[in-house]
Amino acid sequence: MARVLYIEDEQEIGRWVTMNLTERGHHVTWLRSGEEVEEHLAHCDLVILDVMLPGLDGFSIGKRIKKEHPDLPILMLSARTAIEDKVEGLSFADDYLTKPFHPDELAARVEVLLRRFNKNDEILKLKHLTIHTKDMRIVNHETGEEILLTGKQYQIFQYFLRHLNQILTKEQLYEGVWGEPYIEGDKTLMVHIRYLREKLEKDPKNPEIIETIRGIGYRVRK
Amino acid sequence: MKRVKRLRSLTAKYMAIILTALFFINLLVIGTSLLVFNVYDHKDPETLQIEKAWHEDARSLKNPGSEDINRMFEEWQNRYPKARLFWVDSKGRLAAGRNLAADIPKHWNAAYTANFIKARYDNDPFTVIAFPKNDASYGFVVFEIERKLLQPAFTEVNTDFMYFIVPAGIVLFVTVSYLFFLGIRKRLLYLQHAMEIRDVDGLPVSITVRKQDEIGQLEMAFNQMVDELRESRKREEAEEQLRKELIANLSHDLRTPLTKIRAHAYTLGKEALTPVARQAVNTIEQSVSKMDRLIENLISYTLLNAKKLKYEPAPTDVVRLARSFIAAWYPVFEKEGFSIDVQLDDLEKKHWNVDPLWMERIFDNLFQNVIRHAKDGKYIGLKTKKTDSYDALVVLDRGKGFRHKSSEKGAGVGLAIVDLMVKKMGLDWKIESSETGTIIKIIHYR
Repeated sequence: MARVLYIEDEQEIGRWVTMNLTERGHHVTWLRSGEEVEEHLAHCDLVILDVMLPGLDGFSIGKRIKKEHPDLPILMLSARTAIEDKVEGLSFADDYLTKPFHPDELAARVEVLLRRFNKNDEILKLKHLTIHTKDMRIVNHETGEEILLTGKQYQIFQYFLRHLNQILTKEQLYEGVWGEPYIEGDKTLMVHIRYLREKLEKDPKNPEIIETIRGIGYRVRK
Repeated sequence: MKRVKRLRSLTAKYMAIILTALFFINLLVIGTSLLVFNVYDHKDPETLQIEKAWHEDARSLKNPGSEDINRMFEEWQNRYPKARLFWVDSKGRLAAGRNLAADIPKHWNAAYTANFIKARYDNDPFTVIAFPKNDASYGFVVFEIERKLLQPAFTEVNTDFMYFIVPAGIVLFVTVSYLFFLGIRKRLLYLQHAMEIRDVDGLPVSITVRKQDEIGQLEMAFNQMVDELRESRKREEAEEQLRKELIANLSHDLRTPLTKIRAHAYTLGKEALTPVARQAVNTIEQSVSKMDRLIENLISYTLLNAKKLKYEPAPTDVVRLARSFIAAWYPVFEKEGFSIDVQLDDLEKKHWNVDPLWMERIFDNLFQNVIRHAKDGKYIGLKTKKTDSYDALVVLDRGKGFRHKSSEKGAGVGLAIVDLMVKKMGLDWKIESSETGTIIKIIHYR
């Protein structure tokens, strides 16, 4: 599915993660230190970085990678759990997972990142919809019709797809799409969601694609 | 420390003021006595002059008769209108006179004359007795004038001057002393103000030392103290950094083997196992999670207690924050089959001055507790509550309550962290627990 560059000096953990991700269909390149990172960056979709490494530490390597390849998602995978470490890690990395992690969680986060950075040329099937994520083509495969969205609707739906399976609060959605602070009581988002549902849902009164999570927000689930 | 140079010290300045004042007082006393003494000084130039002139005029009378003497008296009267002039002739008769008083007798005998001379000698009125033509046979002429009348301008001006100069001296002394102390007071106030200023790191700021006196020395001592404080703060920060580093490394070193245990358990779990072995793998898996939480909580608790956990409070919309927390936990509760009841309405004051990461930690611990201890209730509620005195975020569950021993113990540290964090952020919290559930309120008093 994706080309993952994994930097980890711990043998047992490294072997296990490589095996696990490979089993899930990813192509993993595992390095023991940050020395040869440069050569592999051009041919990968995602970087998984440990913090405590021989030589240059994971934070320094990560910052350098992000500076030169801002479109390359970085996931920090570390046994350092202090808030300061997480804050420093997230100042450049896109996710921070602490050890001991469950492999299912790692796999899920990898997928979220790949989707957020549009690294997957994925054909998503959501109920009656087929979505080609690279060019955002939406087809109702039951009728064969292509669904066309307006600019804002397209932006909102894409935001949902990049945060697939996550519950998005209305503040998060509004600020993610409009890029300005959400003002309590603003109905703009609700109105757009209603129009979006009218286009996407079979029965807009009983939405299946865009779920309403009562009291919290919305979710699009695979 | 440098000693203050004697001449620059405040003591020296004050002594100079006092000594100058004393010097002037002495000068005044001496001056006054000189002036007073001079008034009665018979060597006074004017009296000498009068004495000389009177003798001269008397001697140069050509024909000392009534006519000549009266002319001489007239001349003198022009010069000294208040002077008493009289002539006693050779027979002892009062032959001529000006401004005569009743006590001057018409006839002078030898005894009276002797008495008169004795009484007037070097006394007031100032008296000159001369013989006309330098010959006693013409009798004698007398010039008398009160000394006060003789030098009126000179003495009166000087006594007025005395009345002026003494109070002026006192006022000057008081003013100079006042200005001196005002100067000291001003500098002390400046010093106090400078001592109260704090730098961005909360330490006092060094003061510019402008004078080398006692206050200057105080300023230097203060600066030295500031330097020492800064030095000690630096040491403390280095120690703090070391301690944090140590704890972070400890946490790392404990988690690495845990990760390996989980890796192996996971690998094992994918094999074909007997039910007993499968159960064992699951137990290992759960223990790893429990260990992980315990390590995290213990380290946080240690840091919190040592006040070393990063704390950055800011006005935060807690309703929005709470919504994002439950959004993150939603899939976990959903997977466990909970019914999730979220009712987050506006609060009276929804911006609390809290650290969002600490709030996240509090709610993580509370939700974690619900998953671990109140699974049976299959219910999680997150609500807002407004009363007259406070706003609150409320977490509800329908578990068997805190008194009931849950299958998984160890809630202690997690809730102890909640307690420490809540109090540090100036909030309060309440637990109401019964057989039918637990209600936890995070309270913000208005």
